[in-house]
Amino acid sequence: MVNLNINGIDCSYGSTKILDDVQFAVKSGEFWGILGPNGSGKSTLIKSISRVLKPTKGTIFIDEADIYKLKTLDVARRLAVVPQDSPITFDFTALEIVLMGRNPHMSQFGMEKKEDLDIAKNAMDLTDTWQFADRSITELSGGERQRVIIARALTQEPQILLLDEPTNHLDICNQLEIMDLLTLLCKTKKLLIVGVFHDFNLAARYCDSLILLMNGKIVAVGESSRTLTKENVKKVFRVDAIVKTHPVTGALHVTPLSKPQNQPPKNLTVHMVSGGGTGSTLMKILTDEGYTVTAGVLHLLDTDYETAQLLKIQAVTEASFSPITDESHQANLELIRKSDFLVIASTQFGEGNLRNLEAAEKAQETGIPIINLEETPIAERDFSMGKASTYLTKLKNHGAITVKNTNELLQLLNSLEETLQQQKKQSADKTTPNAFHPLKSR
Amino acid sequence: MKADTEKKHLKRISHWKLYLVILLFGFIAVLFLSLNLGYAPIPYNDILRILTKQVPLLNSFVETTDITRTAEVIILQIRLPRVLCGALVGAALATAGVTYQGIFRNPMADPYVIGASTGATVGSALVLVLGVGVSILGVHTLQIFAFVGSLTTVLLVYGISRVGSRVPVTTLLLVGIAMSLFQTAIVTYLKTVASDKILHGLTFWIIGSLAPTESWDRVWAVLPFVIVGICISYFYSRNLNILALGEDQAQHLGVEIEKVKLILIVSGAFLTAAAVSISGLIGFVGLIIPHLTRVLIGPDHRILLPVSAIVGASFLMFCDALSRVVMGSGEAPVGIITALSGAPFFIYLLRRKKKGYNV
Repeated sequence: MVNLNINGIDCSYGSTKILDDVQFAVKSGEFWGILGPNGSGKSTLIKSISRVLKPTKGTIFIDEADIYKLKTLDVARRLAVVPQDSPITFDFTALEIVLMGRNPHMSQFGMEKKEDLDIAKNAMDLTDTWQFADRSITELSGGERQRVIIARALTQEPQILLLDEPTNHLDICNQLEIMDLLTLLCKTKKLLIVGVFHDFNLAARYCDSLILLMNGKIVAVGESSRTLTKENVKKVFRVDAIVKTHPVTGALHVTPLSKPQNQPPKNLTVHMVSGGGTGSTLMKILTDEGYTVTAGVLHLLDTDYETAQLLKIQAVTEASFSPITDESHQANLELIRKSDFLVIASTQFGEGNLRNLEAAEKAQETGIPIINLEETPIAERDFSMGKASTYLTKLKNHGAITVKNTNELLQLLNSLEETLQQQKKQSADKTTPNAFHPLKSR
Repeated sequence: MKADTEKKHLKRISHWKLYLVILLFGFIAVLFLSLNLGYAPIPYNDILRILTKQVPLLNSFVETTDITRTAEVIILQIRLPRVLCGALVGAALATAGVTYQGIFRNPMADPYVIGASTGATVGSALVLVLGVGVSILGVHTLQIFAFVGSLTTVLLVYGISRVGSRVPVTTLLLVGIAMSLFQTAIVTYLKTVASDKILHGLTFWIIGSLAPTESWDRVWAVLPFVIVGICISYFYSRNLNILALGEDQAQHLGVEIEKVKLILIVSGAFLTAAAVSISGLIGFVGLIIPHLTRVLIGPDHRILLPVSAIVGASFLMFCDALSRVVMGSGEAPVGIITALSGAPFFIYLLRRKKKGYNV
């Protein structure tokens, strides 16, 4: 058993303070991840724990010993480090590099013995690198070399393993293999692991606890479910994100959203009929384009409902798995009345949401242009015994335009924008509603 | 097939002793060749007997009455010290070269990379041109000044490069270059005020020659430095291996990096200073021998260092022997021979590897 205690350390490069009062404690058998944007001090933290950069304030203890008072060799026997990148100068073979991990356990003139070789072989088997034991380290790819370096760290037989973005050069398959291996070592050999990671999801999935760093300060520390919240992600990484429990892995899953491109608001409102996630992408695109988006009727906990919540879209909602009540239907019509277009997304229609098409029909009667986005033919998503198809045919016959994809939709909206703005102005001036129908005039 | 890798590795290590034995025989062969070659050729049989006569216990078994006194003096008082000096200088330069290439993780590094050469040149130029110190130190003035100049320059470069408790390698190399330029300017100035005769001597010294080493006091003067220097480098040979991973990583593996760096730089400086003090600036040995041995036996310093020392010693003895015979009556400075033979061979090595040169 070993304990690693970081007690309120400050670190500086020259006069620039990199770490500010960082404090946490890790025990054997725990796997901690450090997350943070570039320049937040993640690598510096690893450097100071690995005795490369002495903190200007505070102490770091392995059990009862201050690491900066221990001998280099004593620390090396207990703590191994896997750096971000390992440029290696001379033509050593992979095996020779891994055997260097035995250095802290050998005497000054000692030659590696059979035991040392066995330990190295074992580590190389674990990281799947024994196959190129004989090859020169300079000939290996970045990912292969990183696995050799991890094998070297394991050959050191440490109690503590520090990793600085260890999966940086690895492809996805190797990333998972390495993370699985680290978890296994952590649990079976009671290794204490602290790693810097770039990928929230990899960290959330494998680490017991997370540290979120920003500008050298700890923003949140603890179990990933408490640290990796939407609010913290926004604060530390300055991106909006969807944080959900992944249905398969059961781990938190963070989906960062791209930043809005700051299009000027268009003063045009689009109402969306969607469901089951079919409208989510479009909601985001239209919001980014500067449209005001409304939606309805959406069922609670539906993906489109969650997206609407996230994008702060005004929406009429209905309880999950319930048919649309008269009350919601009226509220939806009310909302539609304020919009300039109505877009019907390629969603599935059944008895539960058929009234949304009825609402679209009402909208068309009041002169609101209807655009039917048909990414999938209606026949394949009509679960209302043909009623939805009938509605759509009727809508089309009365001037609803069908587009095949989002791009076409955006092009159509852009081409109509000017006409619509004019019409809006006119109707505001003359207060004669629906004097001009933009779609029919085409 | 992969199951053999372990055995192969252990076997490779066990072969190291064999390499050393073979190379030692090569060294002795070159030694005899060097003693044989010269203005007055002396037969191998005579050389062997003259040498054996000097060894206690064995001397009663050999008869040297048929060998002339002159031959004995040539071998024992002139050629043997010179040949041994060549071996010591070669071993010292090769060891310093391996050490510096290892510390600086730069295959272009040689013993002169951080100012050892220009420092020695300033020292010797001061003696040759201005006659500084000759009245006090007598005949050894040049050697002492070269030694001190070389050593102080390296220590000065090291001191200037120090940032806090660390000495970054890049800074060290850059300060070395700046210091060399500065000292070259001093030497150039001294050359402009020197007479032709002195200038000739200085040029000879800068090219490097073993001609001034035909006396035993030179051997005894450098022997301790060379032996201690080689032993120190060898003591840290595994640390030099680990340094190939970078300084941070070496520290993570238990190497006290700044301490090791200081010790090795100083030991390399002593080796270089000892070498230049008796032979001047012999080029190429410190650069090429480490490369050559690395190509032959791999980058592991535990074998690279001793093999480089032996190969460096043999190479310089051989070049010196050539320098004594190629020109007939006179002799060419050995520095010219090492450069003339070393440079083309180096280029051949670079071209030989298909995928470019892996150092």
